[in-house]
Amino acid sequence: MIVGEQKPLEEIWEMIKIHKQVLVFGCNTCVAVCQQGGNKEAEVLASMLRMKATQEGVDIEITNSGIERQCEHEFFEKSEKEIQGSEAILSTACGIGVQFMAEKYAKPIYPGLNTTFLGAVEQFGVYTERCQACGNCVLGQTGGICPIARCAKRVMNGPCGGSTKGKCEISKDVDCAWQLIVDRLKLLGRMDDYETLTPIKDWSTDRAGGPRKLVREDLADE
Amino acid sequence: MKNLLPKVGINPERIEMFNLSAAMGPRWAEICTEFTEKIRVLGPSPIWFALKARKEKAA
Repeated sequence: MIVGEQKPLEEIWEMIKIHKQVLVFGCNTCVAVCQQGGNKEAEVLASMLRMKATQEGVDIEITNSGIERQCEHEFFEKSEKEIQGSEAILSTACGIGVQFMAEKYAKPIYPGLNTTFLGAVEQFGVYTERCQACGNCVLGQTGGICPIARCAKRVMNGPCGGSTKGKCEISKDVDCAWQLIVDRLKLLGRMDDYETLTPIKDWSTDRAGGPRKLVREDLADE
Repeated sequence: MKNLLPKVGINPERIEMFNLSAAMGPRWAEICTEFTEKIRVLGPSPIWFALKARKEKAA
């Protein structure tokens, strides 16, 4: 899922305080799981902003609402009226949702979150990066552990010289991805995979190739 | 909430959560009395002062 982190309240306030009316709009999928931008969080943020406005003596009406996903047209239908009736929107979706709304509506759309990474819920309240959407998955060769998302250097034939006692040189709290890969391949009896040299990765499927697009011609309307 | 309130200048002591069953009436009354006294000692919140200032300005 996409993990996000709410922006500092002061930063949000600076963006929205010029308006007379703002709708805080939640996205109840990915960013609700990390409890940063779901409809519940949008409600809490709206309440905080109302308190802030009262104390600052600024006359601004702050309401809240939300939908299941801000990255799909279909979900907007039920909230169309309140969005159209708002002067500005503070979206607590990831960067995708914010941009999608900005494309749909000719009004200011502000981000309430910093989109941080694609990650997993390791335990309640702990989210860790797992994927960088490089567009050319190598997990089949690396025992299901991604050297691109989890190795600081994105080394394809690791580990590098900075790996010590299973930890990465960037921090003692970060596992060496290649140590994890070796351990996992040993467990699976697949160390032959480790001996196979991985050629230089084709990064054209990554962001290096510009913004990406996927079209399912069998599904998409003409 | 205790982490959020200080961000808008509100003392987090102003909020507490208690878990009680419907059968614990006397304890409920006790908590209400204690908490009311606590808030009385803390005095009006910054929101109260802000609203008062706004009202006076409008008058």
